[in-house]
Amino acid sequence: MTTALSVRDATKIFGGQTALDHVSIDVQPGEVRALVGQNGCGKSTLIKILAGFHEPEPGTSVTVGGEELVFSNATASEAVGLRFVHQDLGLVANLDAVDNMAIGQGYITGVTKTISWKKERNAARDALKELGYDINVRMPVGGLQMSERTAVAIARAMSTRGSDTKMLILDEPTANLPGAEAQRLYKLVRGVADRGIAVLFVSHHFDEVFEMADSVTVLRDAKHIITRPVEGLTEEELIELVVGRKLDEHVTDAEAREHGEPILEIKGVSGASVQDLNLTIHAGEVVGFAGITGSGREEVASLIFGGHNRAGQVFLQGQELPECRPDVSIDRGIALVPAERHANASLMDQTLRENITIVNPGHHMNLGFLRRSSERSDVNEWLDKLDVRPRNSEYTMAQLSGGNQQKVVIARWMRQEPKVLILDEPTQGVDVGAKADIHRLVDEAAAQGTAVMVASTDHEELVRVCDRVIIMRRGKAVDVLKGAKLTNDNITAASIGRDTGEPAA
Amino acid sequence: MSEVQAAPRRRINFGFDRFSGVYVWLALIIVFSLWIPSLFFQVDNAKTVLAFQAVSAIVALGLIIPVAAGAFDLTIAATMTVSGCFTSWALLQHRGVIFAVGGAMLIAVCIGLLNALVVVKLKVDSFIGTLGMSSVLAAVAFMITGGGQQVLSEDGYAPFLDFARQQWFGIQASVYYAAVIALIIWWALEYTPGGRYLYAVGGNPVAARLAGVKVGKVVTLSFVASAVVAAFAGIVLLSTTATGTTDMGTPYLLPAFSAVFLGATQIRPGRVNVVGTLVAILLLATGVNGLQLAGAPSYVTQLFNGAALIIAMALAARTARRRK
Repeated sequence: MTTALSVRDATKIFGGQTALDHVSIDVQPGEVRALVGQNGCGKSTLIKILAGFHEPEPGTSVTVGGEELVFSNATASEAVGLRFVHQDLGLVANLDAVDNMAIGQGYITGVTKTISWKKERNAARDALKELGYDINVRMPVGGLQMSERTAVAIARAMSTRGSDTKMLILDEPTANLPGAEAQRLYKLVRGVADRGIAVLFVSHHFDEVFEMADSVTVLRDAKHIITRPVEGLTEEELIELVVGRKLDEHVTDAEAREHGEPILEIKGVSGASVQDLNLTIHAGEVVGFAGITGSGREEVASLIFGGHNRAGQVFLQGQELPECRPDVSIDRGIALVPAERHANASLMDQTLRENITIVNPGHHMNLGFLRRSSERSDVNEWLDKLDVRPRNSEYTMAQLSGGNQQKVVIARWMRQEPKVLILDEPTQGVDVGAKADIHRLVDEAAAQGTAVMVASTDHEELVRVCDRVIIMRRGKAVDVLKGAKLTNDNITAASIGRDTGEPAA
Repeated sequence: MSEVQAAPRRRINFGFDRFSGVYVWLALIIVFSLWIPSLFFQVDNAKTVLAFQAVSAIVALGLIIPVAAGAFDLTIAATMTVSGCFTSWALLQHRGVIFAVGGAMLIAVCIGLLNALVVVKLKVDSFIGTLGMSSVLAAVAFMITGGGQQVLSEDGYAPFLDFARQQWFGIQASVYYAAVIALIIWWALEYTPGGRYLYAVGGNPVAARLAGVKVGKVVTLSFVASAVVAAFAGIVLLSTTATGTTDMGTPYLLPAFSAVFLGATQIRPGRVNVVGTLVAILLLATGVNGLQLAGAPSYVTQLFNGAALIIAMALAARTARRRK
């Protein structure tokens, strides 16, 4: 039996930084292999080399079913029989499965170059049936369930005309799937493997590793650590392999810091991915939220602030906050520094002055006129306090670096002296110096009695600023880390599937 | 080292980026003054241009408001028509000036609210939504007038006709109205929180909402404001021409957009603003007037306005690219 995929000495260096260091793996036909590791361990680099996005360093060789892969572009990878399904699936939501499957590989046409819709439909239906899905192929895929959409993407990848499928490569296949749908996908993948096709999938979800994979490859710091069967492996062992050291469990909780009155009460809040969140935050407390993509972490900040629809209740000092009314939340004293500031927070073509005073410009009204001079001195004071450079209120937001833009957004909210400050990915795309400044600001705000919430993918940041960190998994708050247990490794381990703290209240 | 490269961009360059329109305007005046001094470079001609542009200026000024909030309002011309037709109809029915003008204003408020319903609540793209509304309003104008011309006789309706035609210090009243409206909108946009909210919504509606701006309310009020201003323009136009017709507003649509977008390249590049719009109106009017006096055929007006709109949009796109 020819090896389905054979990678030898895969190496990739980005500007002096080794992203992948002589990694060699083999995958046999019919085998399901999981590829795991922390962020930045080299998983994506390896996948991107296979997909033809990156050209590896000389000395790297890849063969697929015995055939040498020439590193050039996506077409070459496809020609040797590799098929990819990326995390976002790459489907066009308002087109049906038939169109989505035909896009990129051309439609089946008759002699007159007219599309043979019947053949096209049957081909789509058959391809999906082979995967165990019987869905309406004429329905826009946006209306399908998530697992059905994934099935369409997989069917499309596998039905690529022109070469036989030797290997299916999936990037985080169940990242966005609720439990039951994930089960359905496991079956699908098994079915694919039973047809003699090799499957390689990148994963952060350890439950899918154990349910779906025959074997697992662990990468750490750009190097191949181990490839071994899943059988006989425990979750704890796997986490240790990923993190790189034994996790010390015999630590005792430090005394919880003294905190003030409860300020924010969250009762049974659910959103698109968050399910039934219950939490109380006290004055002067910094609470973090960690979790992998799809865990609900990315939604929790906006949900509590009232940025979008939610079920359940949020009380600020005993008074219930309406959903979807940012203006009311702000009036009552809640501030949100949203993730992705370009899309959600910045007025790029407007001045720093306008960006900062947008929440409450009326403050500078005098005799029917907004007074620029009073506004300017107010804003410059804040630019001073946060060390924004350049320190000039009349620059436009677009003229600033990312870190300074973020400080401006934070200044906007600090100026309101909020009771609750919610930060979503506060240091995304921010340089090291600005990051330290922002962390210092969080400390100061908490010291002054503000209740702070931080949702972040940066675990070091959470350890640095938080009193306790809530771990989110599949929409639920499953774990709380605090005191000595609040470590980088523990957050990583808990996010991907092991309980290390106590159950979330 | 991003702090270093973000050095001030304001160099001494005679403000060519911010005041280019003023320079072009002065150049046009000099060219035409040298070319046809006896026709062009006359006080009376200047007054004619001003009087002729008053209505255009009023509509364009009203249009600034929704555009600042990121919404197109294509109903302005149809609103002018409906308002002019209703006023002339009511006057001919001897309902009195107050009923006629008050009714027209009330209708304008309703038009603004309807536009907002379509755009804000039904989430139809503002360009398409107001295009559709324009057609609906054209039908309304027909219903009011029955399709015919509504002529107000010179002696029978003198007080109403004087409204726009009377002169103060030798300049027609309509010019003063335009000036007052310009002042009010300038104040509202530059010196009130409402102006800030408008520009914030136009700049980034998601960010504005998360900063507590009531985006729907802001857009709604901007449509109401532009409709009321357009209706007022319709009344001034009726008072000037004494004739209500079912297409009286139509010629004002494109010049208004030209002026607003050309204006957005001036004074405060990248955002629509009152002073820039006024500069654009004078620039366009001077160009058209000069060419016509020099003997160009009448279609030059349309040619000039259309070309100006395209050039303005191209300039705006270039400014946006440079800012990236």
